[in-house]
Amino acid sequence: MESQLLELLREYFPEAEHIEVTGFEPIPGGYSRETYRFDAVVRSSVGEEHHPLILRKDPPAAVSILQTSREIEHDLIEALRMHTDIPIGRSLGHEPDPERFGEPAMVIQRMHGNSRTSDLFHDGPDVHHADDVMRHLCEVLVELHSVDISTIDPHGRLADPRGEGVDATTWDTYIDTTVEYYIRSFPDVNFDPTVTFVLDLFLTLRRNKPRPLPLVLVHGDFNPANFLYEGGRVTALIDWENARIGDPREDLGWMTTMDILSNTNVMAHPVDEGGFLAYYNKLTGFDITQDEVDYFTLFGTANIAVPVNAAIKRRLDGETTEFMHLYLVQSSLGTVPNLLRLLDYPGVSQ
Amino acid sequence: MNTSPSIDQMLEGVLISISTDILPNVVNPKAAATAQMMQSVIQGIRQLLPVYDQYLAEEHNQMLGVLREVAGTIVGSSGPAADRIRERAAALANSAELPMPLDRDAVMAAHRRLGVALQESMIDLDELQRAGDTDADAGLEAIRGHLGPRIARDTQTFLVGDALLGRG
Repeated sequence: MESQLLELLREYFPEAEHIEVTGFEPIPGGYSRETYRFDAVVRSSVGEEHHPLILRKDPPAAVSILQTSREIEHDLIEALRMHTDIPIGRSLGHEPDPERFGEPAMVIQRMHGNSRTSDLFHDGPDVHHADDVMRHLCEVLVELHSVDISTIDPHGRLADPRGEGVDATTWDTYIDTTVEYYIRSFPDVNFDPTVTFVLDLFLTLRRNKPRPLPLVLVHGDFNPANFLYEGGRVTALIDWENARIGDPREDLGWMTTMDILSNTNVMAHPVDEGGFLAYYNKLTGFDITQDEVDYFTLFGTANIAVPVNAAIKRRLDGETTEFMHLYLVQSSLGTVPNLLRLLDYPGVSQ
Repeated sequence: MNTSPSIDQMLEGVLISISTDILPNVVNPKAAATAQMMQSVIQGIRQLLPVYDQYLAEEHNQMLGVLREVAGTIVGSSGPAADRIRERAAALANSAELPMPLDRDAVMAAHRRLGVALQESMIDLDELQRAGDTDADAGLEAIRGHLGPRIARDTQTFLVGDALLGRG
């Protein structure tokens, strides 16, 4: 793979006289893409430069949990870098041709900062930075939710990136068509009758729509593992593959779910502002209620539950032998009690 | 309880992953040998699981018979050892044989049939609710009242640890 990588880097650094790849190794974590860290040492007539980089490669289609486009992710990252102050690593380019790496891939800048965000919670070494980091994280999220969609996504490719018939023309059409996509997908995610509660979740979303808010660009996988920090600041928001046009409360709801699954506590900070939601409301004036966050906790969970449970079903149907998909049967249970509580199941506590 | 994945499917998945994800990347021969021993033990467990309850019950009932038979073979013997054997058989005289456990595949199939029926009922209830039939709310409540504690119990039983592994 390293020789193919060198070929690609020569395209990204055409002025280079010599390029060397060092420290190439896989990065654990990230459930949907295969990622490798490496340094590119680029020598040219003007001197030698060291570039900390990441190769982000699609897994084979049958194994893939989220079917997303590296081209769209690349274009989004570069648009956000150009038009916002959101901390985000540069995308050097994408390789759509599977000939080179076996599957489409992209090369992005490896940002500095601590990726072990669990260090910010419980007895972690950086708990004293938790308030400042989450304050900045909230400000970054607000900036993301404030971007001009037509500037960032001029061709409308983020309106329905999964190609599932989602219509983001208005808030109502967005919610209606997205929930219809969830319900329509149920046979593909129904790997066992116990997932009846997932069906209940989808149907409940359709029956109980909250008030509308303006549609925005959402990160789509806003969770405690998708940012880096240093000191009291976020140094990068990472993993943009599930970004799309959506309701801003989706990112808040998904973070609520992932706080539980990750044993973190992002939503409780910054404490002096009354927590993440209160600070978000202060910055945006959206006045989002906890009930609305609860709805979008279910909505955002459904958005990920569809591809995740579909991957589990493909594994159980024998289409793949990927172990990760079996592990997800167990690990995803951590979020279930909270979902049942939000659905008002009798006798269930968080 | 899930019927899919079954316990056997999960163990098989671990075996496959040891072969494809772990062993090719293990450079220490002792670690590789340990991984292979783990595969052997896991495969053994897969073979044990379908028959374990049945064999325990069968063997229990056979042991009852053997202990009585042993006492019958020494009717002419005397002394403390022979007395202890007879006492043991007499003490077991009233012990009932254990029933044979149900075939797990049959139980899983029956469980699955009803699970699907609950699912189909939920879809029908949703149709009634959307048509304004408020009686359907109680029907949904009944299904939720069954599923909630059950799924909570499954979660308590099967979940390990308090965070996703392999992430930041």
